[in-house]
Amino acid sequence: MATLTLNDKDRFLINQEGQDFSHEAKTFIKIRELALKNLKELDFPSKKLEDWKYTNVREVSKTEFRPQSAINIIDEKISAHKIPNLNAYVLVFVNGFFAPKYSNTIEQKESGFIITNLNKAKKDFIKLVEPHLGFQTRAKDQFFVNLNSAFSQDGGFIYVKPNVQLDKPIHIINLVDGDLVASYPRNLIIAEKCSEVQVIVSYETIDSNSALSNVINEVVVGEGANVKLDKIQNENLNTFHVGADFAKQQKNSVFTINTIPANAKLIRNNLNIILDGTNSVANLYGAVCLNGNIHVDNQTYVDHAKPNCESNELYKAVLNDSATNVFNGKIYVNKIAQKTNAFQSNANIILSDNASSNAKPQLEIYADDVKCSHGCTIGQFDDEALFYLRSRGMRESTAQKVLLDAFIGEVLDNIKTEPVREYVDELIAENFNSLN
Amino acid sequence: MLKIEGLEAEIEGKQILRGLNLEVKPGEIHAIMGPNGSGKSTLASVLAGREDYEVTAGSVDFLGKDLLDLAPEERAGEGVFLAFQYPVEIPGVSNINFIKTAVNEVREYRGLPAMETKEFMSHLKEKQKLVKLSGKLANRSVNEGFSGGEKKRNEIFQMAMLEPKLGVLDETDSGLDIDALRIVANGVNELKSNDNAFVVVTHYQRLLDYIVPDFVHVLYDGKIVKTGSKELALELEDKGYDWIIEEFEKKS
Ligand SMILES: Nc1ncnc2c1ncn2[C@@H]1O[C@H](COP(=O)(O)OP(=O)(O)O)[C@@H](O)[C@H]1O
Ligand SMILES: [Mg+2]
Repeated sequence: MATLTLNDKDRFLINQEGQDFSHEAKTFIKIRELALKNLKELDFPSKKLEDWKYTNVREVSKTEFRPQSAINIIDEKISAHKIPNLNAYVLVFVNGFFAPKYSNTIEQKESGFIITNLNKAKKDFIKLVEPHLGFQTRAKDQFFVNLNSAFSQDGGFIYVKPNVQLDKPIHIINLVDGDLVASYPRNLIIAEKCSEVQVIVSYETIDSNSALSNVINEVVVGEGANVKLDKIQNENLNTFHVGADFAKQQKNSVFTINTIPANAKLIRNNLNIILDGTNSVANLYGAVCLNGNIHVDNQTYVDHAKPNCESNELYKAVLNDSATNVFNGKIYVNKIAQKTNAFQSNANIILSDNASSNAKPQLEIYADDVKCSHGCTIGQFDDEALFYLRSRGMRESTAQKVLLDAFIGEVLDNIKTEPVREYVDELIAENFNSLN
Repeated sequence: MLKIEGLEAEIEGKQILRGLNLEVKPGEIHAIMGPNGSGKSTLASVLAGREDYEVTAGSVDFLGKDLLDLAPEERAGEGVFLAFQYPVEIPGVSNINFIKTAVNEVREYRGLPAMETKEFMSHLKEKQKLVKLSGKLANRSVNEGFSGGEKKRNEIFQMAMLEPKLGVLDETDSGLDIDALRIVANGVNELKSNDNAFVVVTHYQRLLDYIVPDFVHVLYDGKIVKTGSKELALELEDKGYDWIIEEFEKKS
């Protein structure tokens, strides 16, 4: 007698099904089907995998998360998640679903750019979407990437025509509301030749006792284009956040990403950048300021595929209470990528005995004429500096905050939009207002 | 104002101060001289509250308060200022934010309202001028990339901003050329009043041509072994410390 035994992964996947994507064009359905096939073959990530050694998502597989739209969205609850004083085009998604009432879409043909939701773009701008959607996320072995590819409800679509500079940034607000929500927002950002755009993507919670945010940002940086992405992760402490960002750069382009994981139960980010054209620059900045029991894991991968490119990577962490941090930065230099400049630095300050950080730089270099450097430090505040500040009359808590601001400021100074910087400063200050 | 009695202090189990006595009254300037390693910086650090040092005996009374009982920031609030022998570089903290935060925390401690930006800026400019500190340094990180002379002038600048009752200058003159020395001395002389006092640690008598002390003390082996008037400094310059050490060792 044959019995069908379902494991946690099977049950988890069954819970994600039931969304109807049949109205989508075949080409997009194919992406979902392929991802689903991969998911069936893959194991749910566990500590057995090298990539998941320090980050435990077993609880995710055992929880009955499922896609669900929010009921009763209240205006004030949405506006509370805007960034004060930020003049931006705003797109709002709740539980992965588009909330048009709170969004400013730009879809006119004569405009220099398109800002809309991905589902709309899949219909109205299929020619723009098709060459790029899912292109960078084909990795068979990434469970959560495939999960989003299979089940993503919607997301932001941004398309900037050649030589167009946006007059203001775009803020994509991703909210979660409700219990046992599985939210799969997915943004696609395409910057054509010599265009410029800044996108702020924030992840926050309206109200939830348990949630899974599984997100993707796919960015296409055209020749000579300049794209900035600020990623603010500020969900509540009941949320598992597993995300991946992809950027593919053509020649002479610049891509800058600021990653700010501030709040959640667990945050895992996989950042993948391919420098696929000569003379391009990728800037990867991360500021990890954690308290409580938060666990954050940043995995970065920079692929120097072409010569004469530069990557600058700076991740800093300050860890209080029982917070834990993982940094795994990989730089790959292809054998044709001569004259590569690749810099990576990871610095950690541990404020409490129970906090910890795990860092692992990995360089794989196959070209011979390259400049690569990496450095990693884990330590405490400099006692000499603390005493100096206190001897000038600053309370110990003030002195610590001054040193903290200086330490993390080196990363945050890369956020050039004042209201965004203030917003982030505030989040970080809240995480450390317990400093005594 | 300051009364140190029988002070003994050690670091990492090594005794440095061995029963030090010193009394400083308002309006006075005391010079402390002595060979390297005799404990001058240790005394300065103990007064400022550096936690690496353990006080094992003795007392320090400052304006009626047990100084040793106070945290470093409380001592600053009460009016103790230490000009460091080796000012600390703090990357990423701008000099101006640093001093503004310090001034306002000290004012809060003293029960004064925070300074308005305008008032603060004019105060700042005035004190920068006092020690000829370039305004450009205000936006640089604290002491980072400052020349030796700039660091020392920055110490006196901070002292001027914080308006202490007792300024302890630990070898502020070391490594300064004569012009910088004059600037530093001039700063101290400008700040000097009948209500405050200075303890000036120095190796060289030349500083004392500009900051004229009421008393000169020789610190040796963790104690003050000789006290005299400003002429003692000249004598030390001339004859070195050996005669004092011999004199002291004969006595004990
Ligand atoms: N951190 C330390 N650990 C051990 N010994 C120290 C430390 N700091 C200073 N000392 C010792 O204390 C003694 C006095 O030093 P210090 O007060 O700096 O002398 P001075 O300023 O008079 O030159 C010296 O012998 C010095 O080596
Ligand atoms: Mg000394």
